[in-house]
Amino acid sequence: MPAVTALDFLAASAPAALLPSRIQMAFTLAYHIILVPLGVAFPLLTVVMEGIGLRRNDPVALRLARRWSVVMAVQFAVGAVTGTILSFEFGILWPRMMGRFGDVFGIGFGIEGWAFFLEAIFIGIYLYGWKRLPPKVHYRLGWVLPPAGVLGAFGVIIANSWMNTPAGFQLGPDGRPINVDVIGAIFTPALGYEFWHLIVALYMTAGFMVASVYAVGWLRGRRDRYHRLGFTVPFTIGAVLAPIQWVIGDIATRAVFEGQPAKFAAMEVTWKTQSHNPEWVGGVMRADGTVVLGVPIPSLDSLLAGFSPSTVVKGLASFNPSDRPSIVDANFVHLAFDVMVGLGSIAILLTLWYAVAWVRYRDLPRSNWFFRGAALAGVGSYIAIEAGWITTEVGRQPWIVYNLMRVNDAVNPVDPVYIWIMFGTLLVVYAVIAFFFVSLLLRLSARWRIDDEGRRGDVDLAPEEAAPYGPRPA
Amino acid sequence: MNTVVSYGVAGALLLAVAAYSTAGGTDYGAGIWDLLAGRFRHTAEVRALIDHAMAPVWEANNVWLVFSAVICWTGFPLLYESVFLSLYPLFALALLALILRGAFFAFRKVATSSSSMLLASRVFGISSLLAPFSFAAALGAIASGKVGVGGPVVPVWQACLDPLAIGFGAVALTATAFSGASFLVGDARRYRAATDETDENDEGPDLVEYFRRRAMVAAMALLAVSLVVLVLIAAESPTVFHGMVAGLGLPFAITAVLAVLAVAALMWRGVYRWYRVLTVVGVGSFVFAWGFGQVPYVLPGRLTIEQAAGAPAIEALLLGITVVALVLVVPSLLLLYTLDQRSALES
Repeated sequence: MPAVTALDFLAASAPAALLPSRIQMAFTLAYHIILVPLGVAFPLLTVVMEGIGLRRNDPVALRLARRWSVVMAVQFAVGAVTGTILSFEFGILWPRMMGRFGDVFGIGFGIEGWAFFLEAIFIGIYLYGWKRLPPKVHYRLGWVLPPAGVLGAFGVIIANSWMNTPAGFQLGPDGRPINVDVIGAIFTPALGYEFWHLIVALYMTAGFMVASVYAVGWLRGRRDRYHRLGFTVPFTIGAVLAPIQWVIGDIATRAVFEGQPAKFAAMEVTWKTQSHNPEWVGGVMRADGTVVLGVPIPSLDSLLAGFSPSTVVKGLASFNPSDRPSIVDANFVHLAFDVMVGLGSIAILLTLWYAVAWVRYRDLPRSNWFFRGAALAGVGSYIAIEAGWITTEVGRQPWIVYNLMRVNDAVNPVDPVYIWIMFGTLLVVYAVIAFFFVSLLLRLSARWRIDDEGRRGDVDLAPEEAAPYGPRPA
Repeated sequence: MNTVVSYGVAGALLLAVAAYSTAGGTDYGAGIWDLLAGRFRHTAEVRALIDHAMAPVWEANNVWLVFSAVICWTGFPLLYESVFLSLYPLFALALLALILRGAFFAFRKVATSSSSMLLASRVFGISSLLAPFSFAAALGAIASGKVGVGGPVVPVWQACLDPLAIGFGAVALTATAFSGASFLVGDARRYRAATDETDENDEGPDLVEYFRRRAMVAAMALLAVSLVVLVLIAAESPTVFHGMVAGLGLPFAITAVLAVLAVAALMWRGVYRWYRVLTVVGVGSFVFAWGFGQVPYVLPGRLTIEQAAGAPAIEALLLGITVVALVLVVPSLLLLYTLDQRSALES
């Protein structure tokens, strides 16, 4: 029984607080990640829509942009809170890692913090400016938002890629980094592919998510210009990026094969080092390294990793048990990886459908099945992002800094009860936040539909004044 | 050169803490007055004003908190590790209060029944007390010398409940109540100016008077509590005390007291000029008085700025990023505040 082995392993050598600390970190990160795609990528969609509205003098596009800016601001505020929590969790849960590597690890966050601040301010300006700035000025100020969001994501990825492929320093006698080379510590081997993979994923997700809202409206028969525009602009962005992401993902996987072989072995549930390694679709690895319940495609993994069936793939068995992901971790990683790749492939099918319809009739696909797929593409993208994040983070286990520091040695050595209590409280509070957030979005959507149907008789309230943190009514 | 950079980064850290204490503190203070408004005849009007005053700015304040954390772990990794190993319960408490506060502030706006509204107000108010108290208590525990390098020198709970920790927490509560009341005087004046135009026979409560009195009381409470805490510092942490009354902290300590007295005097005379600037100067100077009083130590008697400093190349970069970012952020922030003020003029 693999689960038992893993728990025995934890009990034998790990600090008692490790399990709740990992669970809490995983939970708060997974939650925060849900807010990231729209936080980083929604501004571009909104500003593009505003640009369309201004250029074509199109009130429908402007109405969409204005409403999107409200959703953007509300969810940015929630992301600000969950992000604040994370920066303190680094200290509460992993103080030893911060003490040893805080400087080389932290520089990315120095960039991210300021980029985030700039984005927060300009979201405020954008929201306030609808009524208080000339349209051209408002539009141009809006263009500060997309680069600020990308810069913030870049900062976080500097830190994460450094954890995966630490570089830019030597270890001093006390285990702390010395002779730090800033450029080397920022531009680590994993930075390039992690950054592009993430940015493209964020824009794809934002595009598909926003489009999915209007796909649902479309399926319910609301086939007006408002829904057509609200669907087409974001879906086109997602669709253009889906095939690009396929290529980037392929490059990234090969880079993991070269740079983080234990993670690669977990992703492909490879136990024994061998050539002609099969690609397992699905499947669960048992304690003895055999894989069940999956479909092996002979030699495909070797072929993908090194362009030749004779490429030798290192197996988990070739690593010291204390240096590689456990069997349980490996199964998580493999399943997550398969889910991500599978969802990415479905996104490409949707893209093809969309492209064929466009080439044939210069119009949206006519089939409801396309819109059903598109309606699910938003949620699917979020699942893919979470799965990708599980792949890279659980795949790095047992290391917090690859080959340099184990999570065991980083964790705060406290009584696990405190961490469980904190986790339990966070769980409740985060559930409350989710409830408020979702019910607010539903209320906004309901009120906007009433506005559109002209059922509201009273004075016209600007969309941004309906948000709980928006500007005061002018 | 490295020393200069380390001191520069330490300065940036102290500045971020001071910025959070003033900007975030004003917000927490409004929350505290919201909680206390329960016994006043015109509770609803007071709460409406506080809602009105807080809505546009509150989320930006958390950014200063994030900067404090980031600058601390990047500039002084050893300090960050030591502080969190010693004081994690305080930070966990502060964080929970922080999220509850944000969530229930929003909830209050959408609450429909009066009982859920009351619950939301209570949670919002109590977490407005708890967050600044816990954050400041952590600073007090540092000043007390209970935080050692790589962990607390006494059991964690003892470090968290040190008299100085409680004392700093009390200073933070009175300081946030003070700056909250002071800024609410300004908001009440704008609010009144806006409503007077439309509504000639004004039957509502005089909120300016309401917060003017509270600002004076809070100013006196702040000075009294600070005096007690200064005595505690003298007893527990002589080096910090020396730094505050005879070292680099002295000018800031004097400025803090004078600024708070000046605000109280202005409120007493009903002169509504300069009081907000003086409030910021006063509260910020309390933070500086403590921070400069600790120089050259980040952990009094145990760890100096230079010993705690991270890799010099990283510190230099961090300082560079901070300067560039300030050049970008300050004008943007001014633009945002201008737009916000313009809304008040229009309404």
